[in-house]
Amino acid sequence: MLTKDLIGLIANASGMSKKDTEQLLSTTNAIVRENLMDGKSIQLQGIGTLEIKERKERVIVHPRTGERTYVPSKNQLVFRPVANLKEELKKI
Amino acid sequence: MAEDKLIWSELRRALMTRAGVSEKDATSFLNAFQTQLIEALKEDKQVKINGLGTFRLQPVAPRKSVDISTGEEITIEGYNKIIFAPEAGLRELVEKVSVASSPAEPDPIQKLGVQAEEIVDILGELGQSPEKQEEPESPEEPEIPETPEEPEEQKAEEPEEQKAEEPEATVIIHEKETVYVPEPVYIPEPTKDPEPEPEPEPVIIKKKESHWFRNLLIILLILLLLLACAYYFLPRPMLESWRDKAFEWSPWHAQTEQVAPVEAENTEAIENQAAFAEEEYPEFDEIVYDQLIVTERMHYASRLAWMSYRFYGDKRYWPYLYDANKDHLDNPNDIDVGTPIRVPKLTAEQRDLNNERTRKHLEFLRKRAEKAMR
Repeated sequence: MLTKDLIGLIANASGMSKKDTEQLLSTTNAIVRENLMDGKSIQLQGIGTLEIKERKERVIVHPRTGERTYVPSKNQLVFRPVANLKEELKKI
Repeated sequence: MAEDKLIWSELRRALMTRAGVSEKDATSFLNAFQTQLIEALKEDKQVKINGLGTFRLQPVAPRKSVDISTGEEITIEGYNKIIFAPEAGLRELVEKVSVASSPAEPDPIQKLGVQAEEIVDILGELGQSPEKQEEPESPEEPEIPETPEEPEEQKAEEPEEQKAEEPEATVIIHEKETVYVPEPVYIPEPTKDPEPEPEPEPVIIKKKESHWFRNLLIILLILLLLLACAYYFLPRPMLESWRDKAFEWSPWHAQTEQVAPVEAENTEAIENQAAFAEEEYPEFDEIVYDQLIVTERMHYASRLAWMSYRFYGDKRYWPYLYDANKDHLDNPNDIDVGTPIRVPKLTAEQRDLNNERTRKHLEFLRKRAEKAMR
């Protein structure tokens, strides 16, 4: 499902116009982004949490050549679903 | 890093101020967003949100496992996993966050430094603990009444020392006062730790390993295997012809040729072996095998000698078998599986191994068969 379809669904459910919904959604995204940049995690009620996790630095070894490469630590955006939703979506 | 959260209500407030909508609208939007996102996930198993990323349901296949307590095989049923894949732009931004905002390298070192100081403090306290109980009593309370002048001096000195040296280590004070064995051992470790830490940061470390010896062994093994296969699968006659040629060329053969005739003159037996001719056994006519016990097909791993043992009770009668079948046999040592072999009935005379003439006859037949073998 694409953003357009989701906007349609939200507009239907909330009774707002599609244009307003689209604007609100993009604003939400902007807020989420900014807060992520500030190092905050985002709690989406009933859905889950978006947070930045650090992947540690490590040395990987190429299995064939035995060459060792240093991989610096980096951050990843991780989504942790709420336990309720996780269980609910397990069986579909 | 992600200690502080942006919770739902904060998001709503930010949405209100940013987009300039009423609280009611913001609430209804967010609620609709929540419910519709879940509905869409259920329906489509994939929801893409521009500017953020994609939520996706990923099926996990059922797998077999073993019950740890009972050892029985159980199947863990498949289920769906919710996965969020951030947009490429967002992903890169997040990675940049790590570079820009969080100084990843100095952090652990600083931590180590702090830890080292803490450890030193703890050690100091541990070292002090037996005396700390005495200290507050000894310098302040009991000493004051006894010698009121001296403790004042001590008091004046001690706080200065402590203030000056506290950040580094309180232990040092105690080393001056009382000697502790474990402390000098422990102290250098934490102070050294933060120093060598930044050093091991090689970007690429190449292991120089030469596998030539192992490779050579492997190649040799493969060659040996190939040779063995070739020897096994190549047709026998070809191999034999090669062997004969090799024998002709070999220097040993030349020697034996020179020696052989000398010996042959001396002994008749060797002469017989060296040059066999049918003319030397003139007294034997061709045997007519009129009575057959059975006609058996050659089966796998069987030999004429073995068949002779089964039918006549002795392996030495095999030349009769060959003789009876020589019309369609070439090499008595190499008979195709499935070849029919006529097993004739032998007369008492033919089976009498004590009889000189029978032995001679058998020898004649055997040599004729061996001639065919060559």
